[in-house]
Amino acid sequence: MFSDFAALIVLLPVIAFVLTLFLGKKLPHGGAYFPIAAIACSFIISLGIFLEIYPNGIVQQSWPWFANMNIGILIDPLAVVMLMMVTFVSLLIHIYAVGYMAHDPAKPRYFAETSLFTAAMLGVVLSDNILQFFISWELVGLCSFLLIGFWYHKPSAAAAAKKAFLVTRVGDVLFLAGIVLLYVNLSNLISNHLFTPEPGNFILQFKTMFEAAALIDPTQLTYITLLFFGGAVGKSGQFPLHGWLPDAMEGPTTVSALIHAATMVTAGVYLVARTFPMFALTPATLGEHFPALFPAHVPDSLLIVAYVGGFTALFAATMGLVMNDIKRVLAYSTVSQLGYMMLALGTAGAVLGAKAVGISMFHLISHAFFKALLFLCAGSVIHAVGTNDIREMGGLFSKMKITGTTMMIAALALAGIGIPFLNIGTAGFFSKDMIIEGTFEYGEQTGDMIPYAFAIIAALLTSIYIFRLWFMAFTGTPRSERHSHESPNVMTRPLMILAILALFFGFTQGYFYPYLEKNFELMHVEVAGHEGAAPEIPVIVILLPVIVGVLGFLISYAIYYKRMLDMSKIISSGNPIYKLLLNRYYEPKIGADMIGVKLTHGVVAQSGEFVDRKIIDGLVIDGIIGKTAFWLGETARKLQTGVVQNYASVTLLGVGLLLLILKLRGV
Amino acid sequence: MTDLFSYLIISAVIFTIGAYGIITQRSGIKILMSIELMLNSANLNLVAFSSFNGNASGQVFALFSIAIAAAEAAIGFAILVALFRARDTINLDNINILRW
Repeated sequence: MFSDFAALIVLLPVIAFVLTLFLGKKLPHGGAYFPIAAIACSFIISLGIFLEIYPNGIVQQSWPWFANMNIGILIDPLAVVMLMMVTFVSLLIHIYAVGYMAHDPAKPRYFAETSLFTAAMLGVVLSDNILQFFISWELVGLCSFLLIGFWYHKPSAAAAAKKAFLVTRVGDVLFLAGIVLLYVNLSNLISNHLFTPEPGNFILQFKTMFEAAALIDPTQLTYITLLFFGGAVGKSGQFPLHGWLPDAMEGPTTVSALIHAATMVTAGVYLVARTFPMFALTPATLGEHFPALFPAHVPDSLLIVAYVGGFTALFAATMGLVMNDIKRVLAYSTVSQLGYMMLALGTAGAVLGAKAVGISMFHLISHAFFKALLFLCAGSVIHAVGTNDIREMGGLFSKMKITGTTMMIAALALAGIGIPFLNIGTAGFFSKDMIIEGTFEYGEQTGDMIPYAFAIIAALLTSIYIFRLWFMAFTGTPRSERHSHESPNVMTRPLMILAILALFFGFTQGYFYPYLEKNFELMHVEVAGHEGAAPEIPVIVILLPVIVGVLGFLISYAIYYKRMLDMSKIISSGNPIYKLLLNRYYEPKIGADMIGVKLTHGVVAQSGEFVDRKIIDGLVIDGIIGKTAFWLGETARKLQTGVVQNYASVTLLGVGLLLLILKLRGV
Repeated sequence: MTDLFSYLIISAVIFTIGAYGIITQRSGIKILMSIELMLNSANLNLVAFSSFNGNASGQVFALFSIAIAAAEAAIGFAILVALFRARDTINLDNINILRW
């Protein structure tokens, strides 16, 4: 029953977007009720569909669009859990935003844009073909541009919006190239009669892609999947396209929570998960050609996904250690956790096959809950203190008990604290442990332990930076003269709901993994992945994630609560590592100044300008071509005398000539 | 046959007068009148051929054409009136700013 209304999941927020944009000014709260109601309905429909299709159902609807393309809806386990997460988190954030944005005069624009954004994200999730996926994906990018630059009168916000748009655009171009390459390959297969899509299936539908994937030339398939992954790298802020995400914190905090924690950035992971069967089919040439560097029998694309993800997880976590802007710390944390999700897809994908999707998605969902919670708590703190700088906070816990407690819960979830063997713990405890165990199994089976090392070290750093944040903000003596106060109910209630989820979502794992594992079976797709006998996981491996989590807590406790080590000395002494981290590995310098200004503008654009201005314009405007054209024009314009009689005479003359010619030709 | 021929001659004469008027006259009103002449010579042709062929559609067509010509003339004169108010002249030699 609910699945008949699947299209409404996307359409309702779109309608809310239009209504809020045009009517919002005249309504209380800037018309926030429209998006809230629309997204609540979307959530209810998503939940209804989930209950309807669980555990073995799948919803497919498809309408022809143009040529051999279609518009369609595909709700499989992967999509339905995403749908519920996106609508639910988005709903809470919209409710929270009523309080957070209460004093902003541009509320209608805010709520309209977040509503459109939610619609676009739901469009990504619902798509049953890669073209529709890409269109929604681009719409997500546009909305993120609008929302990051929401306070466009601030130059830094405008610059951040531009940066986000341009950097993700690099990924988008790669993604589009991947789609084109895929299309060319598929249509070649079809015209050579090597592959015929089943009647009623369209060429770029996911099911057609998966059916044909095994027939595509393996090298081409590697290119296609890597280009897709390029798009995912841009959207999910993976190295080297991670720079935009921390800068994107210029937008309102609710935007950060919505876009840069729960939804948009997960689109990249979702893309890889969605096209996972293709990634798993890529050949293992890297291990073959460079046995010293790479493990054997790991599909190339998965290997690259694993390494990029693992490296990003560690790389971003190091920067999270030193940031002083509360939202920047969370932004790097997001980048790092997205790295974990990619890592899970890559490593577990190589050894466990389709299970990897479940492992990655479980972390994605639990991360969405606790990271949205962290951002909303940060928003609550910023709302109270009026600054983003954690050095100016301190001692907030006594004044903001709800925010402080919920943020602690989120921090525990992010650090993955729990009790092993008893299976009691926060959401992050279950999800991150599975990823780390997945990397360990991958290491056991392939002999490549580097991803495991990435994951463990990043877990330690994660724990350190998040508790550093908490201790600096909530404990100690207040470092600024402000009357901070707890936020209103409309803001704290969503925090509590998310905190409950961050605490207890992990217990659904027993249902979650088997459900998602079936995802591709339900679509009748075989996922390659050599299943060895599951190795016995040593006790130390099970314990280690929790040990590093607690260790990180203790380190932060010692440094930032007990003040056993004076960080200010290290900072003031100009420690080179600290400087490197604080300057974000000079990424803004390399990205904007070197590549942007010096290379692109200085070399490419300048030489282009030289060719255009001096050579082409020299020939065309000042040269013979331009001169002739000018002379002709100058002469011919005299024909336009403005005297009606002249025109009439010429017309008559023309008609007369025409008649004469016709007569002479004997017509 | 001779009947039709004389109609066509008259029509051609009227048409030529109209064309001559358009080319030689400077007054906007006279030019409009000349245009009407040309139009009606065409109507005359239509009616003549229609009666010659025993087919009424040509006459119907001529009626339409007269109705449209009326509308067109109304617009033309309205323009000329407006022009006269603005410029105090309807001599088209003085109304020639739309040129090089």
